Order: sequence, then C-alpha cells, then structure tokens
Amino acid sequence: MPTPYERPAPVAAAAPQRPPLRRAVSGRRLAGVCVGIAHHLGLSTGLVRLAFLASLVLTAGGSLAAYVFLWALVPEENGYEAAARLGSLPNAMPAAVGVPAPGVVAVGVPGGMPPPAHPAAPALGAGSDGFAAPAGTGVVASPWAPAGRPASGPPAWVRGEPAGGRRDPRWRTLLAAGGLAVLIGLVGTAQSVGIDVQAGLLIPLLVIAAGAIIAWSHLDEAERESWLVAGTGSRRLVWARLGLGLGLVVVGILVLTTRGQSPAVVWDALLAALTVLGGAVIIAAPWAVRLWGDLRREQVAAARATERADIAAHLHDSVLQTLALIQRRAADPTAVTQLARAQERELRTWLYAGPSGEGDSLAAAVAEVAHEVEDLHAVPIDLVVTGDRPLEERGIALTRALREALLNAVRHGRPPVTAYVEIGPSGVEAFVRDHGDGFDVDEIAEDRLGVRESILARMERHGGTARIRRREDGVEVELTVPPTEGDPS
Amino acid sequence: MTGQPTPSSPIRVVLVDDHRMFRTGVRSELAEEVGEAVTVVGEAPDVDSAVAVIRAERPDVVLLDVHLPGGSGNGGVDVLHGCVGVESGAGAPVRFLALSVSDAAEDVIAVIRAGARGYVTKTISATDLATAIRRVSDGDAVFSPRLAGFVLDAFGAAAGEIAEVDEELDRLSAREREVMRLIARGYQYKEVAKELFISVKTVETHVSSVLRKLQLSSRHELTAWAMGRRLV
Repeated sequence: MPTPYERPAPVAAAAPQRPPLRRAVSGRRLAGVCVGIAHHLGLSTGLVRLAFLASLVLTAGGSLAAYVFLWALVPEENGYEAAARLGSLPNAMPAAVGVPAPGVVAVGVPGGMPPPAHPAAPALGAGSDGFAAPAGTGVVASPWAPAGRPASGPPAWVRGEPAGGRRDPRWRTLLAAGGLAVLIGLVGTAQSVGIDVQAGLLIPLLVIAAGAIIAWSHLDEAERESWLVAGTGSRRLVWARLGLGLGLVVVGILVLTTRGQSPAVVWDALLAALTVLGGAVIIAAPWAVRLWGDLRREQVAAARATERADIAAHLHDSVLQTLALIQRRAADPTAVTQLARAQERELRTWLYAGPSGEGDSLAAAVAEVAHEVEDLHAVPIDLVVTGDRPLEERGIALTRALREALLNAVRHGRPPVTAYVEIGPSGVEAFVRDHGDGFDVDEIAEDRLGVRESILARMERHGGTARIRRREDGVEVELTVPPTEGDPS
Repeated sequence: MTGQPTPSSPIRVVLVDDHRMFRTGVRSELAEEVGEAVTVVGEAPDVDSAVAVIRAERPDVVLLDVHLPGGSGNGGVDVLHGCVGVESGAGAPVRFLALSVSDAAEDVIAVIRAGARGYVTKTISATDLATAIRRVSDGDAVFSPRLAGFVLDAFGAAAGEIAEVDEELDRLSAREREVMRLIARGYQYKEVAKELFISVKTVETHVSSVLRKLQLSSRHELTAWAMGRRLV
C-alpha cells in the first residue's frame, strides 16, 4: 500500500488524468481557447464552440470577456503537448523526444487544420523506454537522450514548420474581420427592421473590441517568436496589425463619444484623441524601450548561461573525472599518460570536431585505428593524415594493415611512434615509424603471422604493396594502395 | 650554420604564455637540458606586457603562445604585429617560435603568416625544444609533422600539384614536397638529408623556402579563412 510520500509508479500515471488547460496552436479558429477547453474537459471541440457561441448570444456578448480573459491568461501549448493532444503520441511520452523550447511551436498544415497523426511519432515512443506520464505532469526524463531519435530528424511538429505557422495568424485576422463585418451587418439589418439593439452603442464597442484583438493578437506566443527572429516580412505584418488595431480603436472611441454631433466636433474629438494617444506614447515609449532592451538582454544572458552550463557539464563529465582518476593513480605514470592522452583527444574532438567526426571516410578510419592502438598500449602516436577519400575495400585492408603495423611499433619499438597517411589521386601511402631496435623481415620466424600475414600478404591481396625498412634507429613500415577504380589518375 | 651557438653567446629567450605553470616548466626544463646555452631573460602573460618586454629585452627568440589574452583579441598575432622591426641585441630581427596546444594547424597558420619562424606543440620534449630554439635563432624554420601535413594539404601537393618553377608561391616544388613528406613522416632534418642525399643545410633552405611560401602565398586555402579573421 503506497504511503502518501511515494510517487506513483510511472505506469500508474498512465491512468486517465486531466490534461492541463492549454490554448491549442493547431486546429484553432481564433486563439485556441475552445480547443483547449474541449481537450481539457474531454469534450468535442465542436460542442464547446457551439456552447460558446450560444453563450455569446445569451449574455449579449458578455462571454466575449471570458474568452479574452482566457486568451490572455492560459498559456499556449508547446509542440510536445500538441502532439499528445492530437494523439500522434501514444499515451506514453517518449523520453527521447524532449520538450522543445517554449515558443518553438508549429502548425504542420497551413490553414490551422489539425495535422494527421504523425507516422514518425509512435516509432519514437517505441524506441525509448516510454514512461507513461501524460503531458504536463512535470516528469520529463533526460530530454537530450540521444537514443530513439529518428535518423530523418525530428518530426514536423518539433521542427516548427515556418510556412504553416506564418499563414495561420493572417488567416485568423481575416476570419475575425469577416466575422466582425457580418456582425455589423446583422446589427444594421436588425436596426432597420425595427429592433432596437442600440446600434449606436454596440457598433463602436465592437469596433473597439476588434481593434484591441487585432492589436493584441501579436502578443500571442507563437508570434512573439516570429517577432523576435523573423525577417522584415512578418515584422511589417506586425506593424500593420498594430496600426490597424489602433486605428479601429480610435475610430470606435470617436464614434462612441461624438454620436450625432457636427463634423467640427468630430474633428476636435479626433484631434483630442490623437493628442492623448501621442502623449501616452511619449510617456510610455522610454519605459517600453527599456523593457524591450531588458528582455533582449535577458534572452542573451539566458542563452549564454545555457551554453555555459553545457560546457560545464561536458567538462565535468570528461575533464574533471579524468583529473580525479589521474590524482588517484598518480603513482602509475603509464596509466596517467594514457588517461591524459585519451582525455586530450576527447576534448580536442569536442572542441574542434576534427576529421574523426565523419563516419566512413578513410581518414576517419585511420584516426580511429591510431587512437585505439594508443589506448591499448598507452603509447602516444603522432598521426598526420593528408587528403581523404571514401572508405572502400582497399581502404579497409589498408586500415587493418596499418593497425597491425602500429601495434608492432608500440609493442616492439620505442616512442616516438609516428604515422603519416597520404591519400591522393595516385593512391594511398602510409608510413609507420618507430625508434626501436628494429627487426629484419627475413629473421621473422615462420610461425609469426603478424607481419607476414596481416601486413605483407594482406596488402598484396588487395593490389597494394608493403615494405618494411630497417633504419638506424627503428623500423619504418610503408604501405601503398593504388587509387580507387574509376578515379582519374 | 650548424645550429650550434658558441658557448660565449647564449640564446636569449623571452617566454610569452598566459599559463604561469607552463612558463615555469619550460624555464626549468630548458635550464636542466641545455644549461647556459639558452637563457630565459623575460616572461609575459599577455599581449601588451609581451610587446613591452620584447621591446625592452630585445631577445634572440620569443617563444610565443598562440592564444593570449589582451591586445585586439588575436593572441600571438597581435604580439607579432606589435614587434615588427624590433631587432635583437645582436642586430638580427627578433625571431618567433609559436607554441600551441592546438592540433588545428589553421590556428597556427595565423602566427606563421604574421611572421613566426615555426611552430611546435607544447608536448615537445625539452631537447627538441632547445633544438627548435637554436634553429629559429639561426633564421631557419621549424616544422612539426603536423604542420608539414597541413602544408602538403594546403598547397595541393598531396593531390599532386607541383610547381614548375621553384619561385612559384602558390605551389611546392618537387623537392620541397619530398622534404615536407619526410617531415610529416616524423624525420628529423638530418634524417631527411640522408634520405634525399642532400646536406642538412639544403634541407633547411627548402624548409625556409616553404615557410616563405606559407607566409606570402595567396592560395585560396591559406587566405580564405584568414580573410574571415581579417588577418591577411
């Protein structure tokens, strides 16, 4: 029997639990309030919309205030929650997907229609050890776990399709304007038919409301993102919207305050309204500018802090751990050298993302082999590679022979061990050099297969050559491979 | 020029590195290894004090870290720019040997193009460092295997591009390519000389000529990234 202090087991959390109230991004008509409520309550979206429209009529527009209130206060869902809502994630949340940055939300399909369940998403869940917490319970395991990410990159709802996201707000503005026009027409008709709906009061109020909605709508989170990063196109859209909204509000106030007055009075009122508005802007501008600057600064600082935390985490996992190991094994110089060398290499790869970053190139394969031998025997190898080419059969043979040569050099020779691999149009040449006492190929016993089989015979089988030269101090193994077929040479 | 200084005139060296531990280490190692032949006459931890110390001490050789704080943010390159025309006590130009932990030769090319005579990694042994200092103080160039590999790549020599005349700045001559290949294979200068049946002096000439090309060439591979860093 679980005590109150026990967390429910992850599987138990899969039991139906009410999803959090979030405004929908996809499939919404205006601000996603209805869709959000429907999802939150487990009702159909159409039903909620119908109820809202009915309440609009019943309360004579009073529920509009509730809508605006919810719009302002309910946060927008992120792409993760959107996917959960649309059922493209099975009830289990894949740990590997992670939560995209807030604001990186996406509408997969232009026009705000709900995207079909993404086929990649269930596969994602299957790849991870899918713990089954519903959205928003706050349990998110290692969002950066690399396993389970599809090779083709994150699905559309994580990436954030800009096209659909951009089209949506315009579409909504159009819809809102159209609805408003219809409403005004209806009121006008009602008035002419003889029903007193106090059009003189209602129409300006509606105009003001529409202006406010248009001006506010750019504060929507999804659009704030595009406001911050977008190019001039969407920025112009934002300004246009702000201007349109302000204009509507001013016109509405004018009509409201100057009902039935002479044009001169209207002109005076317009002047007064503009003056007041201008004054308000002048007073508010420095404050707004400073607020804006603070926001940008905070964002930059946050980005920097994140980067710093990433670096700190990496250094902690690698360098600090190695330093601790080195201190513990200070008495063993070989181990210390080995640790230091391996750590150095790892850090360099991380910092410079060198040639070993690529998967199947010859240069990367050669570097990998050299590092492996280095790790096995704790002898540093100075590897220099010039040029590169795709890894094919001959390249693999060369890499294996090179590995054998390096092993011999670190086992039987003395450091410094150097390796030089030149990959050019006239084939590949590889040199491994050590500073030991050296050996003669002819003196090698018949049963020692390392040099004979792994180096000499292997290279010959693949159309290459191998030569072992004894020098004053040490041995140099020289391997060559002809160019790849089809190469101009 | 065999690279051996006369005992009466030790090579005067200034150490420029922002890590005090590294400066101390190099100083004591050099003292242990070569005794009086190399004397560290000054140290500096950043660009501005380095320029001041070099101008005051007028050493033969400066051991210059590639990454340094101060100046206009270009590290060792700023020191080189700040010391243009400074002569050593003996009347020769002050010579610079770049030291770096960086594997990325591109990092080092900046200081070489700014005038350094060579580049060694910080893991170099004290003996090799002393040899490199001597070589640089004689006006020769010091190439590590990695730098040689980079040169072969950058000049397209690894891909078979060879200069038709030695004076061509954008390509290596056949001989220079051979020398670079052997250095990349880990050969010392005297081993290169033996391998190619030429004198050590000739090897040094070839290496110096490659260094000159490295500094003056306008090959795309060498200038493209330098343009981006406004270092040309």
